[in-house]
Order: sequence, then structure tokens, then C-alpha cells
Amino acid sequence: MGNDKFVEVKNLKKVYNNGHEAIKDVSFSVKKGDLVCLLGPSGCGKTTILNILAGLLSPTSGDILFDGKSVVKTAPKDRHIGYVFQNYSLYPHMSVLQNVMFPLVVGKNKKPKAEAKKIAEKYMKLAQISDLADQRPHNLSGGQQQRVAIARALVGEPKILLMDEPLSNLDARLRLKIREEIRSLVKEVGITTLFVTHDQEEALSIGDKIILFNDGVIQQDDLGQNFYLKPNNYFVANFVGNPVINNFKVKKDDGKIKAKDFEINVDDLDQDRFKREIPDGDYILSVRPENILPDENGGLPVHVDDIELIGRERILKFEHDGKQARSLVDLEAPIKVGDDIKLKMRLDRIFLFTPDGERVY
Amino acid sequence: MKTNQKKAWLFLAPTIIFVTFFSIYPILRAFVMSFQSGSLINLSWSGLSNYQYLFKDPEFWLAIKNTALYALISVPIGLAISILLAWIIFSKVKHKSFFETTFFMPYVTSTIAIGIVFRYIFNGDYGLLNFVLRCLHLPAPIWIDDPSMSLTTIIIFGIWTSLAFNIVILMGALRNIDPNFYTVADMYGASGAEKFWRITMPELIPTLAFLLTMNIIGAFKVYTSVYALFNGQAGVGNSGTTAVFYIYNKFQIVGTPGVAMAATVVLFLIILFITFLQRKMMKKIGEN
Repeated sequence: MGNDKFVEVKNLKKVYNNGHEAIKDVSFSVKKGDLVCLLGPSGCGKTTILNILAGLLSPTSGDILFDGKSVVKTAPKDRHIGYVFQNYSLYPHMSVLQNVMFPLVVGKNKKPKAEAKKIAEKYMKLAQISDLADQRPHNLSGGQQQRVAIARALVGEPKILLMDEPLSNLDARLRLKIREEIRSLVKEVGITTLFVTHDQEEALSIGDKIILFNDGVIQQDDLGQNFYLKPNNYFVANFVGNPVINNFKVKKDDGKIKAKDFEINVDDLDQDRFKREIPDGDYILSVRPENILPDENGGLPVHVDDIELIGRERILKFEHDGKQARSLVDLEAPIKVGDDIKLKMRLDRIFLFTPDGERVY
Repeated sequence: MKTNQKKAWLFLAPTIIFVTFFSIYPILRAFVMSFQSGSLINLSWSGLSNYQYLFKDPEFWLAIKNTALYALISVPIGLAISILLAWIIFSKVKHKSFFETTFFMPYVTSTIAIGIVFRYIFNGDYGLLNFVLRCLHLPAPIWIDDPSMSLTTIIIFGIWTSLAFNIVILMGALRNIDPNFYTVADMYGASGAEKFWRITMPELIPTLAFLLTMNIIGAFKVYTSVYALFNGQAGVGNSGTTAVFYIYNKFQIVGTPGVAMAATVVLFLIILFITFLQRKMMKKIGEN
């Protein structure tokens, strides 16, 4: 079968017994060997999808194909998957070696102890935990536990690796380190990986591709940079990006886009970027803080209320139309709190959304 | 620092006074009394004579033998059945809380009351137990009135009464096991038996160590169930006498508090020794 659709999800739906519709008609596919991030806010259905892929939950309707074969009716143990839980779920009464060996020494296809040990040691070496073999999980740091969990998930030589927020229990610095390690490890093994996270930065840095969910629906299934440059809708534009995007209420009228304190000629916009003809009426104009900058010829006069330092850049905060908005400027820009300045937008980087979230520009 | 220490003693005082009067003093008093003879109001020093009497008394040895057998048989069997039942309720039964309450009921019911009910169940002629045994064409022994059956009857009753507490504690321990442990095991196709022996049992070890200690101590102090089953006696011809029964008998009925206290001291030392041994053993198991 085609390697482009190694994992294929078709029209997946999941309604829980309490009537909650967790997943509404979701379809996507994953290329063999890719690391794909399922991203979304809490309760968006991403973990539900992972559990359905693992066979821990059964879908209400829809189909899942691994390597071209439907696995909806296959038991979890026969799906050839490895699963890393959010809290790792290492067995506290077993040593690291016993934990990693566990998948090999239970079930119908269990291997002799010596052989299992050999395989376990190979993956422990890969995950750089060989020297911890005799330790108990509670003696390990979060990062080490993480590696043990990954070694245990890989030891059965699964075709697909599923990871459910595997970094959320680690501190910030370790998270950066481990996510690089995870990426290089799964690439080295060459295993197709689905990685659930609610952290956009994590998703952008680790994923070959990102699938963004909200309310049980795919919002965008794309390469990382496109979430910045070409968001599908209002939700995507607001979910991805830090500091968050600025949204201004605007009205299209008389060939102009008018907001409080500024207006833009529709003719000045990049006509190729319009998705469709747009009638006069209310819209939302969104612009990322890095695309609205101080400029003497700027059309938007503002009063700087506050300045926040974030490393090599500063965020200017100002109020517009009753809402706080932000501009991302260089650390050395000569602007102080209380200054009155003018801002200019990059017109080829702004987005226009209809009030119900559809992107039209 | 100094004033703080004074205050600390002040706060500790109620407990210290309470423990001194109701725990430490009785122990010391029992120890002293074991070297005295005479009636309670007229005690005189008699050296080791109480202990000499004790070790020559065949009834004392019977009591110790019965108690030891009771503990060695009822505790492991009781624990094994408790684990089995708790595991079944936990993994297979819906409406767990109903069954849990049901199983806990015997614990909050008076042993005397249960004992009286069991007198009827164990009755050789019209008891429920023998009725069932006869229906199954099995021999129907004379549970209560046959001296050779006394200990067996006490053991069966002891196992039954120990279940309530054990099951409730074990259910709590089972509930504390991360359900993901089983999910992981399922994912790798572990069988029910593999999950039980590789995950459930090792996770239960600390709880089992606690229950084993409690049960053994309780078993060595068995008294009420004997009293209730045999209507205030220790079975026909004292055949079912236990250590505490012996102590009570020597103290209240025979009127030799010195001998009773000597037996108390011996029992105390036995329990202390076994508990100590057990802790060492459990520590070793826990390390492996």
C-alpha cells in the first residue's frame, strides 16, 4: 500500500455515552515515518482520537486503516502500536529493565527471557538509559522516566507510536531538550509517530505536520509555517502565535475597510489574497503583533500603556476600541511607556475574517 | 528554644498521661504481677513460681498450640480468600459499593451476635452448614459438640470474620492502583493471570504486609469468637481453649492473677517476636 497514507482516518465520529460528541467527522492521513502532532486546546478531542487509534476506545462510526487495512475491529494488542502515556505509567515495583521488557514477556507471543532482555537492552541503549537498568522508576528524574516509557513503547517494534502529551510533566527547560531527543529518536527508528499536545510551540518544533483540532473538528491539517502564514479560519489564527494575534472590529463600506482610528483602501490590499468577493458589512481584521509596527507614516495613532520584555523583543501594549492590542518591537526601539506613537500594518500579512470565523483575506 | 520546649511538653502532656496510665502502666503492672501470687487484694512475691506452673500446665500448652494453629491456618487462608473476593468484586462486579457495604457489615456487627448465628449454622443436627453438606452427600461433622472439631470450627469462623476488614482494605488498595497499568498491560496482550501476578499482587504487597501483621496479632488474641461459638466455654472439655481464654480463665474463674499475668507476658513476647520476624520478612520481599 501507499506510504503516503500509512495511517488513514476516515469520517471518524465518537459520541460518548453521556451524549457528548467528542469527535465530529474527522478524516486525515499520515505518511509513513512522519511525526505528526495532534494539536488543540483541552477537550478538543485529540486524546480521544489517539485512544481510538490505539483501540482503547471504539469509534461510533468511521474507519481507521493502518497500512491499508482496517483495524477498527482489531484488538489493541494486535494493532502493532506503542503508546506513551501522559504520566508514563511505569510499573513502580519493577526495575527499568523489567519495565522495558514487560511488553515482550507477557501475552501470547511472549519471548524467552534472555531474548527479551537482549531486545530491551538494545532499545535502552537507544534511549540512553542503559546505566539505569536496575533502578526503580521512583528513583528516576522526570526526563529519565520519559525515556523509559518511550523505550517500553518501542521495544515491541510497533509500526506506529502514539504519544499522549508526553512532555507535560516535565519542567520547561527539560521539555525543550526532551522534545529534540524524541524527534531524533523516532527519526532514527523510522517509526510513524502521532504526538498529542496542547502546546503550539512544541507542535511547531517537533512535528513534520500538524493537525489542529477544536470542538472535535479538524481546523487545519498543514505544515507548521502555514498555521502562521495561511490560517484556515479565525480559530487557527488566534490559537497559533505568541504573543497572540490582534483582532480589530472593522466595517467594509464604500471601498474601504474602516475601524476606529484607521481605515484601509480595499484597492491597497493584495487582490490575489482574497478568497472570494466580499460584500459590505462587518468583518474582523487580524494582524500578528510582529506585523503591526511603529512607523512615522503609520495610520493608527496609539498610546503605549505598558511594555513587556520577552528576551530579545519587547511587546508594546495599547488599547484600541476597548480591547488591548500588542505590537512586537525590537529590544532597542526608543519607545517608553506613555509615548504616543503611530503604527503601520503590513497589508500583505493581515487577515480578514467574517464574524463567524471564515477567512476571506 | 527553652520556652518552646516547655510548650511542646504541654501539648504532648494529654497523650503522654493517657498512654502512661492506660498502656504503659498496665503492661508494667502485668509484668510485676506475673512474679506475684495470691488474690488481687493480697499479692505477695513468689519469684518465678507462676512461670514454673505455667510451663508444667498441659492446658497452657494446649492453649498455645491451639492459638498457634489458629493463627497459622486462619490468617493465610483468610487473606487468600480476601484477595480473591476483593479482586473479583473489583474487576468483575458492577455496583461495587453495594457489595463493599455488604462485606463490611460483619465488621461492624458484634462478634457475639455473629457467633450466636453461627451456633445455629454449625449445629450438627439442624444447622444450615450440615444441611448443605448432606445435600452434597458430604460427611456432616458435629461441629460444636465434638472436641476434635472445636479448633476446626473456630478456624472456619475466624476466617469468615476476618474477611470483612481485609476485603474493605484490599478494595481500597486495588482502587489506588493506576488504571493505566492495566491499560498498558492490555495493549501488550497480557492475560488476566499475568496482570494479576505481575501488576496487582506486587502493588498489593504493602497492604498485605499491613493486613498480615494485623491479622496475626488479632489471631493470637482470639477470644470472643470462641466464647460466642461455645456459649461461654472453650469448646467441649476446654478442647478449643486459646491463649487469651486461658488467661481469662486463670484470672477470673480460677482466681490466680499471677499465673494469668505470666501467661500474658509469654503471649506478649510471642506476638512481639512474630511481628518482628514478619517485618523483616516483608522488608525482604519488598526489596525484591
